[in-house]
Formats: sequence, structure tokens, C-alpha cells
Amino acid sequence: MKRILIIPAYNEQDSIIKTIEKIKESNINMDYIVINDGSTDGTESLLVENNVNHIRLISNLGIGGAVQTGYKYAFENGYDIAIQFDGDGQHDVRFIDKICEPIVLKEADMVIGTRYLDKSSSSFQSTFMRRFGSNLISFMIKICCRKKITDPTSGFRAVNKRVLEEFALDYPTEYPEPESTVSLLVNKYVVKEVPVSMNERNGGTSSIRLWKSVDYMGKVLLSILVDSISFRKKRRKK
Amino acid sequence: MQNSLKVALIVIVLIYIFIILKSVKKKNMRISYLIFWIITGIALIIALLIPNLVENLSDVLGFEMPINMIFSVAIFIILYLMFDMTVLISKEQRKNVLLIQEVSLLKQRIENIEKKRKDDYE
Repeated sequence: MKRILIIPAYNEQDSIIKTIEKIKESNINMDYIVINDGSTDGTESLLVENNVNHIRLISNLGIGGAVQTGYKYAFENGYDIAIQFDGDGQHDVRFIDKICEPIVLKEADMVIGTRYLDKSSSSFQSTFMRRFGSNLISFMIKICCRKKITDPTSGFRAVNKRVLEEFALDYPTEYPEPESTVSLLVNKYVVKEVPVSMNERNGGTSSIRLWKSVDYMGKVLLSILVDSISFRKKRRKK
Repeated sequence: MQNSLKVALIVIVLIYIFIILKSVKKKNMRISYLIFWIITGIALIIALLIPNLVENLSDVLGFEMPINMIFSVAIFIILYLMFDMTVLISKEQRKNVLLIQEVSLLKQRIENIEKKRKDDYE
């Protein structure tokens, strides 16, 4: 099966090359594509210098738009599995095979690498506030989709070909991680979670800042509710 | 209404219509929006020129004061316009994202082809 890593990067000059090196070292048998989301620092020149396979977005789109570009690329080039992987060193290369496994075995359409499952001895469990926010989003998803997702904001996920095609055509770009999960769940796709451990960020700042978090939470919760209605039956079921 | 005030208002409405016509000439307004602005302009002129029209209308509709009717109508029109604009902006934003993605994908493809051709040539 052809597999590809989609690595969105926005102003990640301190960590992106390290991430790529780690992927190459681990000699997992797969391609990768870096989506440079209109970075304003030295990310682009680093990518060109190191001959990294990448797409430079001509304008900043945000994480959702960037990741969707990756899905489009994966779809156009006929990949069977796409794995979303952060460029900031938060995600661990060792878990890539693990999150692909349920898809290879055809047990799931999308697999989320989650920090919070008990089995995992994660070195990075994130702060109390983030955890609280995550739980709130989980709760909302459970109400709307009747399925428990412990880590709905995790950006470490793998999808099969069918979902890849769906995402290439239509991907929620405002709050991509929880929204895309909801869009699959309401259409009876199988979403599975696998425990992973994540590292602290190597550099850069998290896209969710504290002073914005209340505003963010309100909008995410609303978007889950809206998506659970608007995406219903929109995604075609084969 | 005092006559001097009336004259001032008519002048303002005339300037408003002049601005609309100017934007038509410059072709920076879509026809469907233009119709809306022209209709409001005409309505304003009619309301100013026909004596007691606003007063009588608000009486018939049961407003306590004509100004209440004017404000209500204006607020509803503005609400409608704002809603229309947010819908429009959201649609345009989606198209914009699509454009940026497709152009970026194409650029990457072309660059790859060019690189390959250069390597083959060498």
C-alpha cells in the first residue's frame, strides 16, 4: 500500500528539518509531503536547500487549508493511506506504523493518535486547561455523534483511501480536527483511537493560545453541532 | 419638517445617487447590488418630495412616531444587508481557499517537471 505523510508547517524553521531527518532515519517505507503554509520565516529556503519534497502555499491558509492541500496531493498521486504528522516535532515517528495498523487491517476508516488513553505512558499529557477543553469537545461530540473520542484535537491521524478522497473534496478548514472527525462520524465511518505519546513542542507556538481559548471553545462547540447536522448524508456512503 | 432641513436632505440624497451612478460608470458594482441601491435612492427621494407621506404611512401602520418607523425599516434593511454580506464573504472565502490550494499544487507540479527536464538535459 502506498502511504504518505502530510506534514503541515507554518514558521517551523527551527524544527522542520529535524522532523524530516527523523523520518528519513527511521526508514519507514513511505513518502512525505511538507505543506509550507505561507511561512514568513526561513522555512521555505530550508526546504529548498535540503531538497525536501514540499508545496509552498502562495498565501497562508491556516492548518485546515494546508492539510487539505496535502490530502489533495495524496489523492491526485494515488496514495492508499495518508498520515497527518506535525512538523514541530510533537509527534513521534515510532507510532506511525501503529496508527496505520487498524487501516491496513481494515478495522477503521480513520485512526486518531491520542494522548489521553490510559494505556499510554505519554511524556507529554498537556496542561490541565487543554485537557479540560478537550473533554468538553469530547462531550459535545458524544452528544452529537454518540461516539466517544478522547482526543478530538489531536493532529496525529491516519486515513484510508475513501476518507482521503472525501477530505480532498471537502474538508472543514475552520476547526479542522474536531470538525473533520464529526463529519466522518455522522456518516457512519469508523473512527478508532490508538494511544500514542507526544513530545513537547520543539519550537514555534501552539496554534491555540490561552487568551483565545474561551472564544475558541465556544466556536468549536457550535461548529460541532452545526457540522453534525450539515454533514449528515452529505458525505456519500459507498 | 423645516424647509431648510428638507433642502439639505434632498442635496444629500442627490449626492448619494451621484455616487451610485459614478460606481456604475466605473463598473465596480454588480448589477444585482446596484438595483438595491437605486431603489433605496428613489425611495428616499419620494419620501422627501411627497408631503406627509412618511407621517401618514406610520399612522396607518400604527407607529407612535414616524421616526420609529424610519428607524425600524432602516435597521431591518441593514440587518438583511449584513446577513447577505456574511454569506457572500463565506462563499468567497471558500473559493479563495480552493484557488490558493489549486494554484500551489499546480506550481509544485510545474516546478517538479522543470527540474526533471533540467536534470535530463544535463
